[in-house]
Amino acid sequence: MAEYVLEVQNIDKVYGQGETEVYALRNLSFKVKRGEFMLIVGSSGSGKSTLLNMIGLLDRPTRGKVIIDGVDTSTLNDNQLSAFRNSKLGFIFQFSNLLSDLTVLENVTLPRKIQGSIQNSSDEAKTLLKTVGLENQMHKFANQISGGQAQRVAITRALIAKPAVVLADEPTGNLDSVSAETTVQLLKSLNRKLYQTFIIVTHDRHQFGEVDKVVTIKDGRILKEEMEANLT
Amino acid sequence: MDYRAQIGIRFITRRKGSLIAASLAVAIAILVVQVNSVIFQGLYDAIVRDQINYRFGHVYITRQEDFITKSDFVLINWLERIPYVQAAAPRIETVASINATINGKLIHDYSVPVIGVDPVLDREASTMYQTVGAGGQYVTYRNSVVVGAMVDRDLGGPQVGDSIKLKFKDQFGNDVLRRLTIVGITATAGSVGLDNGVIMNIDTLREILDRPHETQSIIVRLNDPTKDVDVKNLFLAAYPSTADKFKAQTIEESAEQTLSGFRSGIALINLVGYFGMMSSAFAVVTIQMMQVSSKTRDIGVMRAIGAKRKDVLLVFIFQGMVIGLIGAGLGTVMGVAYTAYAKETHMTFQGSLALEVKYNWTSIIQTDILAFVLAVVASIYPAYKATKLEPVEAMRVG
Repeated sequence: MAEYVLEVQNIDKVYGQGETEVYALRNLSFKVKRGEFMLIVGSSGSGKSTLLNMIGLLDRPTRGKVIIDGVDTSTLNDNQLSAFRNSKLGFIFQFSNLLSDLTVLENVTLPRKIQGSIQNSSDEAKTLLKTVGLENQMHKFANQISGGQAQRVAITRALIAKPAVVLADEPTGNLDSVSAETTVQLLKSLNRKLYQTFIIVTHDRHQFGEVDKVVTIKDGRILKEEMEANLT
Repeated sequence: MDYRAQIGIRFITRRKGSLIAASLAVAIAILVVQVNSVIFQGLYDAIVRDQINYRFGHVYITRQEDFITKSDFVLINWLERIPYVQAAAPRIETVASINATINGKLIHDYSVPVIGVDPVLDREASTMYQTVGAGGQYVTYRNSVVVGAMVDRDLGGPQVGDSIKLKFKDQFGNDVLRRLTIVGITATAGSVGLDNGVIMNIDTLREILDRPHETQSIIVRLNDPTKDVDVKNLFLAAYPSTADKFKAQTIEESAEQTLSGFRSGIALINLVGYFGMMSSAFAVVTIQMMQVSSKTRDIGVMRAIGAKRKDVLLVFIFQGMVIGLIGAGLGTVMGVAYTAYAKETHMTFQGSLALEVKYNWTSIIQTDILAFVLAVVASIYPAYKATKLEPVEAMRVG
């Protein structure tokens, strides 16, 4: 098993061509070890969400490589990328992005259904939902629960397929302070309990306290990379 | 259940407005085709029914360019030995000038078609005798005549018991004048019978035309109408046309002149119905495009967590299948209900001719399948558009 679960190698992301060319990311490189809890921070427009899209294989870099779990993802075609996202990556979005026409339980098991490994998926989903305190909400539709609850459902959805890396884009950005604190503690406890790698994009680094690594982005470049940082 | 089917079903069933609109578009298209079928196919079948009942039977036997000289008794006996034959009867058709007088005063003088029937055999082979109105009777007596309702009207309304004078030409071209007593007046729905002609005893007509023992045609009624070609072929085998110059025709052949134009009309009407179905497909395309638009974020999320483009395609194809199934089901219920109503109320065409309403399950199922397939095909383009959404863009737009 590779030491680093994620390697970002010299990636550029360029929008437009010729005179209208704009660099959203420029020559970015860093590595993430398995089980690390890492933050990507930066001001609005710094390129942190663009970077997360590259790491999440939702967008392709113009140049450079993203290597996840030892696989150079630049060699994968569209179908392989989908399958790779499904098996190796978990996503937590700012607005939870649950499918409102599915129940909580159905939302959580969806990545496993897409994977085709539905055996025990329902039981595992129920266990995860119990872990996040939502065992009584599992048969409600996604639009019938609160924002904080929805974000916890999104966290369990991200974990159900046992991904190599969980990516979170401003996971507390749409929550009240109490729900935000609960979410942060949940993510950190899951990191410790499951030895799960988390990469979190946030504009509020202090919310997360002590973390393994912080990468600060400014104007599409890495401004600094801090290890084992206590940000409180 | 496959998760793509589950999501497709949920997407459409939880948006009841879209589901109702799309399903109704499909259902109404089926209903239009079914209503067309009930009215126009029913009218066609009613005309065929009356042509069989009044004029041609299921098999119509004539002799090429001449009268049948072989004994009708022999021919009918032969025909009635075929198990599929219910009855057969001879007929002669000609034209006569009619002089109608009331109280000795000439009312009218014009040509009418005359049909000579055997009053006994004809009751078995046709139902023309049933068209004689109340108070009348069939042409049992030699000098009796039944006049059609329109002839009667044109003649100023002579009653049963009045007499009319008919002028014939015999086979040698000589005028033969004969006074006949009206014993009945026929009235048929839609005037498909002999409302514009007169019926008389075949023996009297043979005598007038100077054609003793001759017959112009034999109508054959079958107890199994599907055997018409068999009966025709059996007859022609027994009486080869080279020797007797017989001509035997099924109802489709004998009534071809009447029915051919009508068939084209039905084809045109059906075409209009199928164009209606195409319009419903466009409605499904529009509603499915709206569905894709409203589910853009969900599509983005599905793609982000690993769904492939073909999975997204299948979600919307399943959605189309739900629309097709519900629409076809609803359309069938509405179409069958209309058919049942038409049948139970003995629906008539323009208040006159009773439609021959049948439950044509083959046609209903074909229409349902076509509507279902169209709903699915109409979903392909919106589904394809959905697959083209990139996850990042889709989640941003949604």
